[in-house]
Amino acid sequence: MQRYLSFACALVLACATFLAPGADAKETVKIVFIGPLTGGNAALGLGGRNSADLAVQLHNADAKAKYTFDLVKLDDQCKPDIGVQVATKAGADSSIIAGVTHYCSAVAIATVDTYHKFGLPVIVWGAVLPAITYGNDYPEIHRVNGTMINQNDVNAKLVTGLGYKTWVIIHDTTDYGKGHDEYFTKYLTQDGGKVLADFGVGADQQDFTAILTKVKELNPDVVYFGGLTPIGVRVRSQMDKLGIKSQFEGTSGIVSDSYIQALGPLAEGTIAFIDGAPIEKLPGGKFFLEQYAAHKYAEPPEAYGAYAFVAANLIMDTIEKVGPNRKAVIAELAKTKDYPSIVGPVTFDAHGQNIVPIVTAYVVQDGKWVVWHDSDYAKGKRKLAGGK
Amino acid sequence: MTGTAASRVAVHSQRTDLVVAAVAVAAIGAWLWAFLATDRVGVLATLLAVAAVAFVLAQRLAPRYRRALTARPRAATSLVVLAVCAVAVALRDQPYPLLMLCTVLLFVVACVGLDIQIGHCGIVNFAGAAFFGTGAYTAAVLAARGVPHIAVIAAGGVVAALVGSLLILPVLRTRGYYAALVTIAFGILFSTFLEVNDALGGPQGLKLHGIDLFGWKFNRDVTLGGTTASFYVNYFVLSLALAVAAFVFARRVERSWLGLAFDAVRLDEIAAATFGIGVARAKIVAFTLGNLLCGIAGAVYAMMQGFIAPNNFTFGESLILVSIVILGGIGNPLGILPAALIIVVVPQKLQFIQEYRFLLYGVLVVLILLFRPEGLLPRRIREYFPGSGA
Repeated sequence: MQRYLSFACALVLACATFLAPGADAKETVKIVFIGPLTGGNAALGLGGRNSADLAVQLHNADAKAKYTFDLVKLDDQCKPDIGVQVATKAGADSSIIAGVTHYCSAVAIATVDTYHKFGLPVIVWGAVLPAITYGNDYPEIHRVNGTMINQNDVNAKLVTGLGYKTWVIIHDTTDYGKGHDEYFTKYLTQDGGKVLADFGVGADQQDFTAILTKVKELNPDVVYFGGLTPIGVRVRSQMDKLGIKSQFEGTSGIVSDSYIQALGPLAEGTIAFIDGAPIEKLPGGKFFLEQYAAHKYAEPPEAYGAYAFVAANLIMDTIEKVGPNRKAVIAELAKTKDYPSIVGPVTFDAHGQNIVPIVTAYVVQDGKWVVWHDSDYAKGKRKLAGGK
Repeated sequence: MTGTAASRVAVHSQRTDLVVAAVAVAAIGAWLWAFLATDRVGVLATLLAVAAVAFVLAQRLAPRYRRALTARPRAATSLVVLAVCAVAVALRDQPYPLLMLCTVLLFVVACVGLDIQIGHCGIVNFAGAAFFGTGAYTAAVLAARGVPHIAVIAAGGVVAALVGSLLILPVLRTRGYYAALVTIAFGILFSTFLEVNDALGGPQGLKLHGIDLFGWKFNRDVTLGGTTASFYVNYFVLSLALAVAAFVFARRVERSWLGLAFDAVRLDEIAAATFGIGVARAKIVAFTLGNLLCGIAGAVYAMMQGFIAPNNFTFGESLILVSIVILGGIGNPLGILPAALIIVVVPQKLQFIQEYRFLLYGVLVVLILLFRPEGLLPRRIREYFPGSGA
C-alpha cells in the first residue's frame, strides 16, 4: 500500500517539475489561424486553414526569410462563446504575434473586444459583416475580404440588367443574412426591381416548405438567398421539390464547392457573388491553385481560401519587416497600401478594412463556379430560368 | 516528503488521516494546475494517464482512507478550496487557463442544480441549458438597463426559477421518459424563441459588459503587492464562491428532512405518498432550487463571456450539462468537478488535432463509462450521522 502511495506522489511531483514553463529553443514566430473546423461550416474553415498553412509552408521554404513561422490552428466551431475562448487563448499567449481569424460573422463580431483587450493584431479572412471593422475603432482588427455592401450593389445591377422584374428574398436572421437583405433591397429598389416578399429563417432551420409554398404562389422571377451554404442547399433542393421554376441567386455565403457537391445538377445556373477578383485569373492566383494542388490537401480551398492565404502572407511579410512584436505589427499593418496579393492589391482604410474595388459574379456551369462574363450564360449559349 | 507521509500513514490515526487527505488534495491541485497550464501533447497524454492510474489506486485505497475526508467534512472542503485557490494563484497571469477554470466552476454550479433535480428527486431535466440561458439573457437585459450587478445575478436565478414554474404542471403530471420529453420540448422551444426574437438580439446574440460589484470592476486587471494578475481572477473568486455555496447548499438540502423526502420520492413515489410525504411539494421544491442555481450560473457566465447567442444554449448544451451529471455519478455533487473538467476542458485541450477532436473526446467519454458504468464517483448510501462510515 505504501509503495503505491509513494509511487503516485512521485509521479505527480515528477510531472509538475517537468512542466515548469520553458522557452522553445527554436527561433520561430507563432501566428494563429482561427476558423470553423467542425460543424456545418467546416468545409470553408478547413479550406481556409489549408490555405493559411500553405502560405506558411511556402514562406518557410524561402531561404531568405528571417523567421520561421509556426501556424497554430484553432477551431471556433462557428459559436460565439467558443470563439471568445479560443480568442482568449490566442490573445493571452504572448508568443503568438498575430492572427488570421474567423469565417463566421457572428463569431468575428463577438471576438473583436477580446483581441482589442489583449492587443493581438488580427486579419479577418472570411466574415463579411460590415460592423466587424466599421463598428469599432480598434487598431487590432483588419480584414482582407470585402463587406457585403459592394457585393449587393453589383448583384442588383447585374440581375436587373438581365431583365428580371420581381424578387422574393429569403435570408437567415443572423446579422449576415439581415445585412444582405438590407443592402440588396436598397440597391435592387434603386435599380428598378421589385421585392414581392421577404422571409427571415433560422440559421439551422431544416424545413422551408411553408415559406416556399408562399413563394410558389407569388411566382417571382428570382429567389434571392442571403445566408451560408448549409441552408442554401436546403432551400434550393426544397424549391425543386415544390416545383418552383424561379431563377436562384445567392451571396458570397454559398460560393463553395460543397454547395455544388450537395446539390449536383440542381446547382446549375445558380448565380452568386464574391468580393474580390477571380482568383484563377490573377497571375498569383494560378500559382496559389497550383501550389495548393501540389501540397495535396484533402479538402478544396473553397471560396475564401485565397483570403486566408493573403492574410497569412500579409502578416508574415509585416513581421519580416518590423520583427515579432505585436505593437509594431499593428502600426505597420495600418500603413498597408497596394500590397500585391493574389486577390488584387490590398489597401487598408482607417478601420483596417481592405478597400476592395472588385466584385466578381459567378454562375454554376457544369458543376463548377464559372466567372459570369466567361460563362455560356453571359454569352447567350445557355439560358437561365425564365429564358434570360 | 513522500516517504515521511507514507510512513506516517502506517500509524493509523485520525491526524494522519488528515495528512493523507492533505497530500491527496495537494497532488490533485498540482495535477489540475499542470492540466490547465499545459499546451503540449505529450504532457497532456501523460497527465491523463497519471489521472487514470491515480484513480485506480485511489479506488483501492478508498475504503481505508475514506474516513479521512468524511470524518471532517469542513476540513476536507477547506482543503479542496485551498488547493483550487493555489492553482488560481499559480495561473494568475495566464488568462486562458483562468477562463477555462471559471467556465468549469460555473458549469459545476449549474450541474449541482441539475443534480438536485435528477440525482436527488429523480426529475429528469433535459432543459438545463435553457434555464442557464434564461439567467444569461436576464442578465443581458437587466444589466443593459443599469440594474446593479449583484441584483442582476440574483435576478438571473429568480427568473430562471419563475420560468421553470411554467413547466411544473407538466413535470408533475408525467414521469420517466414522458417527463424527459417535456423538458426536451421546452429546451428546443427556448432556443427557437431566442432565434426569432429580435428584441433579444435574434440569432446574432447580445453584447454584455463585465461585472461591476460595488464599484469593483471585474474586467480590470488586478494589481496586488507589485504583481499584476489577469482580470479573470475576479471572475474566478466569484465563480469559486458560487460553486462552494452551491456545494454547501446541496449538501445541506441532502442532509435535511427535505433531502430524505427527495430520496423517497425518487425511489418510489407511491411508497413515499403512503408515508405521508408530499410528492408534489418535494418535486416543486427540487425543480425550483435546481433552476435557481442554473440561472445564477448563467447570469455570471454571460457577463464573464461578454457575448451570448442562442446557439450557446441549445439542446446540445443541455445534453452536455446532463452528461456532466451522469459522468460524475448521479446524485454525488463531488463527482461533478472532475466530470465538468473532462467535458468542458478536454475538447479545448484537443485543439491540436483540430477537426478530429470531438471523435477522440467521444471515445474518452465512452471509455470512462465503460470502466465506471455508474460515473466517476457514484453516490454512496446515505450516512445518517457524518463520519459513521456507513
